[in-house]
Amino acid sequence: MPKVKETEILIVGGGPAGLSAASAAANLGASVLVLERDGKPGGQLIKQTHKFFGSKKQYAGDRGYQIGDLLIEQCGNNPNVEVWTDTTALGIYEDGVVTAEGQAKHLKINPKKIIVATGASEKMIAFPNNDLPGIYGAGAVQTLMNVHGIVPGKRVLMIGAGNIGLIVSYQLMQAGVEIAAIIEAAPTIGGYLVHASKIQRAGVPILTSHTITEAYGDESVAGAIICKLDESWQPVSGSEQDLKVDVICLAVGLSPLTELCFQADCQMKYVSELSGHVPVRNEYLETTRPGLYVAGDVSGVEEASSAMVEGRLAGISAACSLGYGEDIAPKLQAEALAELSELRAGPAGQKTLRGIMNLMDKGGAVC
Amino acid sequence: MQTKETIVCRCEDITLEEIKSLIDQGYRTIDEIKRVIRAGMGPCQGRTCRMLIAQELAKYYGIPVGEVLMPTFRPTVRPVKLGTFAGGE
Amino acid sequence: MLNKTGIPTAEDVKKVSPSEDRLKKGPVAIIECFQEIPCNPCTEACKQGAIQPMEDINNLPKLDFDKCNGCGVCLSRCPGLAIFIVDASYSDTEAVVRIPFEYLPVPQVSDKVVGLSRAGEELGVFEVIKVQSGGQKNKTYTLWLVVPNDLAMDVRSIRLGGVRHAN
Repeated sequence: MPKVKETEILIVGGGPAGLSAASAAANLGASVLVLERDGKPGGQLIKQTHKFFGSKKQYAGDRGYQIGDLLIEQCGNNPNVEVWTDTTALGIYEDGVVTAEGQAKHLKINPKKIIVATGASEKMIAFPNNDLPGIYGAGAVQTLMNVHGIVPGKRVLMIGAGNIGLIVSYQLMQAGVEIAAIIEAAPTIGGYLVHASKIQRAGVPILTSHTITEAYGDESVAGAIICKLDESWQPVSGSEQDLKVDVICLAVGLSPLTELCFQADCQMKYVSELSGHVPVRNEYLETTRPGLYVAGDVSGVEEASSAMVEGRLAGISAACSLGYGEDIAPKLQAEALAELSELRAGPAGQKTLRGIMNLMDKGGAVC
Repeated sequence: MQTKETIVCRCEDITLEEIKSLIDQGYRTIDEIKRVIRAGMGPCQGRTCRMLIAQELAKYYGIPVGEVLMPTFRPTVRPVKLGTFAGGE
Repeated sequence: MLNKTGIPTAEDVKKVSPSEDRLKKGPVAIIECFQEIPCNPCTEACKQGAIQPMEDINNLPKLDFDKCNGCGVCLSRCPGLAIFIVDASYSDTEAVVRIPFEYLPVPQVSDKVVGLSRAGEELGVFEVIKVQSGGQKNKTYTLWLVVPNDLAMDVRSIRLGGVRHAN
């Protein structure tokens, strides 16, 4: 008979949401197993060299990788938390068994509760020659530079002026790489304007209402043609510019990584404000499959600060449903919910709030 | 580069032209397209192309992208070597 | 327009600028934070009580120019690198502008650097008179630049040097 690993709470993904969920649940007394695909937990935090926004409660002012180290340490110090690195969840089955691959072994886990904190994957866009070597996703560039210490090239065209496009441009500049321009199809900058301002004042132009029409090059990227877009997002003829670059970096958004939620038969809904298909869930982040919670980008793409709070909320809720910390859980849940509304209260959070309202509304799932 | 190709599925090297032509021929869902041309069956399991194909279908049928039927999701979420299954307990 | 280019307009800057009189009196912070985002480290950094606590974390920071002594702690704490210190009392003709800096190489005292505007345009060559390290954890440097009086509210960055290439 195959051996099945028993655990109270299984957390899929060791990023900001997963690690926060792990220590929150473990602090209440639950035993937790975290599955992490990479060799080291921390998710995208380990590549973030900029200081985070938010308040003290979300470690504002600390740099992303420092917050990652802190979350890893919190989990490491807690005897209730076990982390399996180099382990990828492969499926969630009807009987609640989760399978995974780790150290080239097929593993089976039978948890009482599951928290899916798989994060998001990068979107791609279609343009001629979009498979030339030298075209990268922004996440790949961050991994190259900040994990492996390799710069991707000499001169970069960044596509997308959301927070990722702006932050990765800044990191490239810090690594001594020139940014030819940051282009953004939307008429306004999507990321935080303080990020945009610090890049702009270092001499890098940010061109809104601009798109890439094609990349060119024989063996690899030698340049890109960009053009202006009019008010109805149509190319303005004669506005083409030829930029000589050897790298094109795509930062055109993220999609929630919801394959496991689909498999688990969670009710799903496409919500554009949350960046794609997301599971319908209640206030405490439990999906329509009882005992399966979500937290972080998989439940709607947002900032890491909210992902950490969502992780905490899901961790507390899952532990509480197992009978742990029933006396203090309601208070902790209320605190987390208050922090989330605080983080989302400003103009920047309105999109997320609209998305969540949309998601909870009618419940009319389409898939 | 002789021809300018726009790649939709990187893993299986499938172009936008090919996808559009299938839609013109009457293939109506991501799953149908996957079955005839293998889009979404490579190492990334459709994470790159799924929504790009959904956009093309939405455009063709004049519906919101959220109304495009999603494919069926089955374990495993990423390709696993047979040896892993054989060697596992 | 700030949200199209990342460049604050003259009106934006005016809203966060102290009076000429206050500038003449000595160092003061200029908080060039124009977008309501959830962020408040500056309010906790200020030991003078000049940056008021926020009712809502999304509020824009409010600075009392008279309480501000230009110590610069907020400058090195601001995650957005959006705070500058201007000291127009430096001399009759010159002012000191302190800017946050996170690139390599870090300029040294008495180096001459090319000062840039909010739009990244060259404004002249200026001397660095002091370089403050943000420390092991913070890591943000503060550069002190001597600029002509009339450019004190314009110089906000420097041309990056030592560009390192792949290959």
